[in-house]
Amino acid sequence: MSARVPALLVMHADLSAALLRAAEQVTGPIEGVETLSNAGLSRDQLEQEIAERVGRWPAGGLVFADFWGGSCHQCGANAARGRGEVVVVTGLNLPTLIDFLHNRENYGVVELAERLQKKGQESIRLQRGKAA
Amino acid sequence: MSWILHRVDDRLIHGQVVIAYGHRLQPKRIWVVDDAAAASVWERSLLLAAAPGIEVRVVTVAEAAAAYASESGEPGGAFLLLRDLTAALALVEAGVPVPSLNLGGLHYAPGKSKVNEYIYLDERDRSAARSLLERGVMLDVQDVPATRVQPLRALIPELSST
Repeated sequence: MSARVPALLVMHADLSAALLRAAEQVTGPIEGVETLSNAGLSRDQLEQEIAERVGRWPAGGLVFADFWGGSCHQCGANAARGRGEVVVVTGLNLPTLIDFLHNRENYGVVELAERLQKKGQESIRLQRGKAA
Repeated sequence: MSWILHRVDDRLIHGQVVIAYGHRLQPKRIWVVDDAAAASVWERSLLLAAAPGIEVRVVTVAEAAAAYASESGEPGGAFLLLRDLTAALALVEAGVPVPSLNLGGLHYAPGKSKVNEYIYLDERDRSAARSLLERGVMLDVQDVPATRVQPLRALIPELSST
């Protein structure tokens, strides 16, 4: 058993808050996960907002961003720089967030990030219809 | 091909640039013209990886001015990104014939006043905007291709006589 890995969701518009609300409907009340929107923030301001939150973590954690290459990812990477075990995970979806919630006490930061990358990729599945 | 977008945006490479404009205009290269980013190994490496499938170049204003004309001989189109209007003016003053600038995101900071939801300017920005307009550079406000283009002149009455 490890200490619970903290997380921050940084995304466009209201996505991070909506994802967390959706996860709460599935799992019940959630603690230790913060949300942040990039709306209206410059690159410097977004980086500062993320750095303030990440700076409060005693031993690293995960920054979840919506997609690779966006401001949330890049500012997350800048804010995480030099702060030890902070990993930015991009492309978060609901199944991956739920897997995080179920496993955040079972792994260290890096191992958990690697697990979530794999789980996230596996979470996109196809259900094809059949001709009647 | 040649330059297909000149954009002023304090987020440099990000979703609106790569996804919205990238999908519409299909650039082969993105030039980030920013002295601070070009001077930082970390910033450069982050930007180089930010647009998978598109070549990214991170250069200073002086390097961009020297290489600007060479882009016309390259295959495919290119985007040029600047962090603020002061850098845009520096590029134009270095002799680069920028025809127009897409103002896509200059966000709030203390001392800046609101022009619209995503453009906030202080006196320095307004002065740079005025100089750019006087030099014949069109300043068009638009965050993504699906929204209406608005000339900055129409949004700031004091610039309308420029």
